[in-house]
Amino acid sequence: MENARDSRVRVMVWAGVVAALTLGFAIVPFLTDNLSFMFYMMLWIIMASAFNFVAGLAGYMPFGYVAFYGVGAYATGILYKTLEFPIPLALIGAGLTGATVGLLLAPTLRLRGVYFGIVSLALAMAAKLTISLMPADLTGGSLGLILSSANDPLAAYYAMFVVLLLLLATATWLSMSRTGTALRAIRDDQEAAAVVGVNVVSTRMKAWISAAVFPALVGGVEAWYTNAIDLESSFNLLITAKSIVYAMAGGLGYLVGPILGSGLLYGVDQLIWRQFPTLNLLLLGVIIVLLMLMLPRGIVGAFAQRFSKLRKYIP
Amino acid sequence: MLRIEGLRKNFGGLKALDGLDFEVPPRSILGVLGMNGSGKTTMLNCINGVYIASSGSIQLDGKELTGLKPAQIFDRGVGRTFQVPRVFSRMTLWDNLAVPLLSRSMTRAERDEIRATWLKKVHLFDLRHNYAEELSGGQQKLLELARIMVSRPKLVLLDEPFAGVNPTLSRLLIDVIRDMPGETGCSVVLVSHDLTSIYELSHDIIVMHEGRILARGDAETVQSNPDVVEAYLGA
Repeated sequence: MENARDSRVRVMVWAGVVAALTLGFAIVPFLTDNLSFMFYMMLWIIMASAFNFVAGLAGYMPFGYVAFYGVGAYATGILYKTLEFPIPLALIGAGLTGATVGLLLAPTLRLRGVYFGIVSLALAMAAKLTISLMPADLTGGSLGLILSSANDPLAAYYAMFVVLLLLLATATWLSMSRTGTALRAIRDDQEAAAVVGVNVVSTRMKAWISAAVFPALVGGVEAWYTNAIDLESSFNLLITAKSIVYAMAGGLGYLVGPILGSGLLYGVDQLIWRQFPTLNLLLLGVIIVLLMLMLPRGIVGAFAQRFSKLRKYIP
Repeated sequence: MLRIEGLRKNFGGLKALDGLDFEVPPRSILGVLGMNGSGKTTMLNCINGVYIASSGSIQLDGKELTGLKPAQIFDRGVGRTFQVPRVFSRMTLWDNLAVPLLSRSMTRAERDEIRATWLKKVHLFDLRHNYAEELSGGQQKLLELARIMVSRPKLVLLDEPFAGVNPTLSRLLIDVIRDMPGETGCSVVLVSHDLTSIYELSHDIIVMHEGRILARGDAETVQSNPDVVEAYLGA
């Protein structure tokens, strides 16, 4: 029987991961002036983990995931620059905008598999087009928005840190609660889940909205950190691609998977970038292909398969 | 317990179910025989809400089930298995059995006890930390049965439980199914092509043909019915 000890060990492993991340990212500003590497490490951990909510737990593959990031960035910029909201309120507005866009797109959850993925991608393009058609005095037009008056990298770093803490709390709730179990059942077989009492519509909505709010917040905080927002950067499909790759490399469906995948691959990405700037994308691509071929379930998934007796301890 | 009256299901011009009427008394096993395409699985799909009946009434303990969604029908006490087992493949056996209990108010100890009881009953307890996809097809059928039974259903719908199962596991399945009404108080609707198992387990049998009931009665009555002999049993 899965006794209380097994469950306790799993919770302790996860608590250890959360404590290490919290402590590590909290003290970085006291150790170095170069915040950028750790800022973007947090960004990718959040993006990949939130992607895991909807892909790893609920079984949806939103190729248009970047839409939430983009609308979050623009919501922050418009609220701060045009409507003169203070940055904290603008960021809350970005999160709410992400949730609203998530609700608007919720009917697409009726689709499954590649159909959902393609529609999601098309809607991301539609979101980009919608913003490009909005009045230029609101969005900055083709030049985008500059937020230099809000420049405060350290504050932006800690804002991302707060988003990371919120993400970890949400991940804990989604994965270890009854909702998490129901989501995994939906991922494996939606119809069978309904037949054993799972409310499919409301359960997957929880994962979907969670997966919409975090990239929107991240888009807003990143806009604050870089002080610049433009359509090409905010709706760059590489953001979706990296979120997927980092989450899958670590292991979809596990809480620690996207964290490990983001930490590892982002680190490798930066290393290659410094050593071989011209071959960066090529070498990173080769590493990703090898990883997917050799470990299709990701690092954590492969570990769980190889050491099946330890599986019950992996959060 | 279960009362079905005038149940019809049409797919366009095709009458998949053409006015079914039958009852399943408490603590009994109803065997359902029929050739491929006779409407057996469609009937199960209508009872548990996967399909919405075109007309007719499905009542469990006097309460109408027609029009409810599968999750609501499960909450009323109806569980089912599928012809091809549909386990939650990337979840452990232990977690598979947690899913039907999500909407039940039980203590953790109660949940653990009933999961352990049913996994032991179907001889899968030692594999409880394995992923369901690592089981054989026959073991997945046993897991699916255990997954339903942990929720203490009033009515269990079993769709071809013996198909593709080796004789040893088939024997185990037969023993478990036979004991279910007595041990848990449930009733069972057992759809199968396996005549031996149906005759051995069922208190009552209906034979379906082209969406209608061709014959009903105990094993002896059904076997000697000339319509059944001609349409289904051959010879």
